[in-house]
Amino acid sequence: MLKKDLGLFILIVVVAAVVAFLNPRFLSPINLSNTANQVGLFGIVSIGEGFVIITGGIDLSVGSQFALLGVLFIDLLVIYQVHWAIALLMMVAGGMMLGTIHGFLVTRMRMQPFVVTLCGLLIYRGVARYITGDGNAGFAFGETYPWLDLLTKGKSFGVPHTFIAFAMVAILMGIVLHRTVFGRYLFAVGKNEEAARYSGINTRRVISAAYIICGALTGLASVFMTMYVNGVTPSVHGNFYELYAIAAAVLGGCSLRGGEGSVLGIVLGSILLQLLQNLVNLLGIPSSLNFAVMGGVILIGVLADQQLVRYRRWATARSAAARLEEAAPSAAVKQSA
Amino acid sequence: MKKMVLAGVTLGLAMAFAAGAQAADKKTLAFVVNGASDFWKNAEAGIKKAQGELPDYNLVLKYPEQATTAAQQRLMDDLVASGVASIMVSAVDPKTETEALNNIATQIPLFTTDSDAPNTKRIAYIGSSNTAAGKQAGELALKALPDGGKCMGFVGLPSADNARERIEGVRETIKGSKVELVDIRADDVDQARAKRNVEDTITAHPEVTCFIGFYSYNTPRIYEAVKEAGQLGKIKIVGFDEDPVTLGGVKEGSIIGTVVQQPYEWGYQGMKLMAKYVGGDKSVIPADPIIIIPTKIIDSTNVDSFWAELKQRTGAK
Amino acid sequence: MPGAVPFLELLSISKTYPGVVALRDVSLSAATGEVIGLIGENGAGKSTLMRVLGGVVAPSKGIIRIDGAESASLTVNEATAAGIAFVHQELNLFDNLDVAANVFIGREPLWGGPLKFVDRKAMYARVQPLLDRLNVDFRPDTSVSELSIAQQQLLEIAKALSFDARLVIMDEPTSSLTLTETSRLLEVVASLKASGVSVIFISHRLNEIEQCADRVVVLRDGCTVGALDRQQINHDAMIRLMIGRDLKSLYVPPAAPPGSSMLDIEAMRTSTYPEQPVSLSVRKGEILGLAGLIGSGRTELARAVFGIDHPSAGAIRLEGQPIVVGSPRDAIDRGIYLIPEDRKRSGLLLDVSITENISLPDLASYARATLVRASTEIANAEQQRRRLRIKVPDVGDPVSTLSGGNQQKVVLAKWLSMRPRVIIFDEPTRGVDVGSKSEIYEIMRELADAGVAILMISSDMEEVIGVSDRIAVMHEGRISGFLDRDDFSERNVLKLAVGSTIS
Repeated sequence: MLKKDLGLFILIVVVAAVVAFLNPRFLSPINLSNTANQVGLFGIVSIGEGFVIITGGIDLSVGSQFALLGVLFIDLLVIYQVHWAIALLMMVAGGMMLGTIHGFLVTRMRMQPFVVTLCGLLIYRGVARYITGDGNAGFAFGETYPWLDLLTKGKSFGVPHTFIAFAMVAILMGIVLHRTVFGRYLFAVGKNEEAARYSGINTRRVISAAYIICGALTGLASVFMTMYVNGVTPSVHGNFYELYAIAAAVLGGCSLRGGEGSVLGIVLGSILLQLLQNLVNLLGIPSSLNFAVMGGVILIGVLADQQLVRYRRWATARSAAARLEEAAPSAAVKQSA
Repeated sequence: MKKMVLAGVTLGLAMAFAAGAQAADKKTLAFVVNGASDFWKNAEAGIKKAQGELPDYNLVLKYPEQATTAAQQRLMDDLVASGVASIMVSAVDPKTETEALNNIATQIPLFTTDSDAPNTKRIAYIGSSNTAAGKQAGELALKALPDGGKCMGFVGLPSADNARERIEGVRETIKGSKVELVDIRADDVDQARAKRNVEDTITAHPEVTCFIGFYSYNTPRIYEAVKEAGQLGKIKIVGFDEDPVTLGGVKEGSIIGTVVQQPYEWGYQGMKLMAKYVGGDKSVIPADPIIIIPTKIIDSTNVDSFWAELKQRTGAK
Repeated sequence: MPGAVPFLELLSISKTYPGVVALRDVSLSAATGEVIGLIGENGAGKSTLMRVLGGVVAPSKGIIRIDGAESASLTVNEATAAGIAFVHQELNLFDNLDVAANVFIGREPLWGGPLKFVDRKAMYARVQPLLDRLNVDFRPDTSVSELSIAQQQLLEIAKALSFDARLVIMDEPTSSLTLTETSRLLEVVASLKASGVSVIFISHRLNEIEQCADRVVVLRDGCTVGALDRQQINHDAMIRLMIGRDLKSLYVPPAAPPGSSMLDIEAMRTSTYPEQPVSLSVRKGEILGLAGLIGSGRTELARAVFGIDHPSAGAIRLEGQPIVVGSPRDAIDRGIYLIPEDRKRSGLLLDVSITENISLPDLASYARATLVRASTEIANAEQQRRRLRIKVPDVGDPVSTLSGGNQQKVVLAKWLSMRPRVIIFDEPTRGVDVGSKSEIYEIMRELADAGVAILMISSDMEEVIGVSDRIAVMHEGRISGFLDRDDFSERNVLKLAVGSTIS
């Protein structure tokens, strides 16, 4: 575990302890399960966003993808009577397709990720609204899909399946990012794309892959989210969710300059973010302050992290200086000017 | 150069759309809503019915591309510019839109629906009384909790007029009784948060036994969360509007009842009213210019007939 | 002139940083019209000393005496007022502004009272004489983005003169300049001296020091280790003082005569010079120097061979077999490696560990089932650290903590961990200290003796002549000639580089 992640973990424990002290129901199984469910819903897509951010890019379209894919998912089930498992796979594939388009535009057409995905944000929501004729897409009352409901809304041993899915995605993506050749390439491309290219890395393919992974995870998460709210109002469904995803990734140590971040960090970031929402409700803080609490904690978290890094550098330099003073003056350490 | 090409393409697209929208030279009456939702499909059905009776008019329903005052104002300006004879609008935020609405009202007859803007030069308001609707919901709550109890309200935008008035109505009715509205949780029209608010309330306030969903999507989210928590029947649910899940819950007996507006009637009666007014018959406007189309309580007794009617009107599944 | 009363003196300056003693008891003086060569390996303390002089860094101990007035430290404003001006290694120019605006940035002549309009006319009128004095070929209204590095260097000097500088400090001014541009700069130094301006000239290129300096001060490990008067200045003496030992004569002949042809470039046309087909061959065991002015198309050629750019025409043969190089991966898979000109931009991931940098181009071979095995990676990095004598306590440290020379060794280590057949070095020792330089030359020779073909692009005359077995010279996109060892001379290289022929 990186020190950065440890700091975030401690922050989560402290916040949780304070909330639990003020309202002991925080620790009730039902509340933990509800919060875990939320973490799962928002966390999956945060990991995808993190991959893109690590390459130095950004994906602003995930919220709109939620709306578009959600609408398509319901239409497939309700209107076209497609088997839910096939529909689910189609959503993942659909997300990958959108990711492929983003990757193509970013790497081949040399467009800026911000611009590409901003256009995506507008286009996908527009299309989603068009498909439903500006109405809602939803299931009729009592229309159930037992297996799909079990998969997306069920629990095993009290743990919501969304959270289990999130944990599985996190472990898999953690291995991909931190252990595989591809993961190393992702960081290399994010740190210094040119040097990566000079080292024989196909940087375009690596960057495209990040967008495709983000798309796949968005597709998966969109199914969970659609099932959670049991319908999609495309004009508002998933609004701002890209910002939650970015916030979780940044809170978890991803740098928007690229080349930095960890899956564990993103997981912790997602947990903290949902913990804050839970806190607002549990402590009876006016709902209007919800965003303010979230923004404030992200700001403090990132600021504290940077100050900590600076402090550590200063401390190392100081201890080195102290050692130097003790040593004979001739043992001066040489360092490039 | 690049910019010019882009501008040219945009302009071309815009013109192509405009050409498609050109209609015959009948007078156009526009019904401008405050945002996209199924709710307005009802009004659309009413407008369709009115259209059948008003062959000399061209009736249209317009959605702003975003549920913001800016988008809605621009939409209305464009409609006025394209020669619309009269507009009926559900203003996104009537308080702040006074000036913009007056600007429209000085050019063509302006009517309001859904939420009124009494400080403007609008000709008339036709729609529900949200306060009255709130009172009906309060009655449902009293019925649900004969021995008294605590209620929690859930809403999208608590400061919006319709929400405020509904909440006010509930409070007025339950005043003096043992029923209490302890708090209102807002979700900024984010449905995932709406559901989450319910879940957290179940955890944080086990003493609350009645949930009131003030926006159309709040009630189904309450129903789902309560159901998933296994508290159906234990927690009483009072709703607004006619989301299929809400109606299903009413039918099932797990929702006490829901207060519905009649957007169908707004569309139908509103359009007829506008047509008469534009046709020169000013006598249709009452002195206080407020035409209330009463809200209805839907409970287990009348849910089937209401639903059947609704399905027939909107052609919904 | 030497012997004149110095107007500026630094007496027993020391500076300690946490962890480092950067300067210890260093003294330096400058008299009117004196050119002082300041030399030393990277990290010897030259830059710190100059920062003390510029008022950027306050010394821990010592006295600064200017025109007889003593103080413990200077501020930037005091230094400027005393007539001390800098021409930095990294140019500090705004390339979206014109020449005059750069000279007067932050102190533009104004008109219009509180409206503060910039008085362009006055600005141009005041800059023109400065440019005349330096005899430059650009005008006050030329945009800086159109200037070459050398011209920008001259602009920096003009800027220094606009402050009525008495002492101009030039930190590695020639590191990015071509041979002709360098001699042009040395002329400017001479004319500054003639007009009574003193110059502190910091350079790794000792022949430049030899040409222009009245006096040489040598720093090593933060101490003054010696000073040489005009008549004592020569290569050997300077190098001896700098590294504290004699540098072996640069050229080491190959162990065996070069073998058959390894890399053949045939009629290759790059996008920069589409009219000029370039052909050349590098043999096994040979170091081919590729000389020429900056912009003569050498780097473009290297990039095309390595698959970064796509040539518009031409063929590449490796050991006689035609190959297609569509990407750096293709080149790397065939054993053709490039050590790029700008290692910080193209060669390294600076804040990533040495280990990960070294394994990057061949990462798949450290992986089992695509999972990278850190232990084999580290083992390899350790091996390379010993082999290349990379001075670092831990291969897990980020590359950014290393000196220029050691960073270059890390770039080298990337490729030496694999199976090189051709290595293209683009300016292999730019910004590298003397000690590491000779180590890099040794490695190049070792590689060549092991049968690797080496193509070395260099603008450093000493290096081209001292290291190559054969020299190819480029001029405006074409090969203007080849030189064999017997014909090596600065004069011949220079002649071919400017496009004339050797008689």
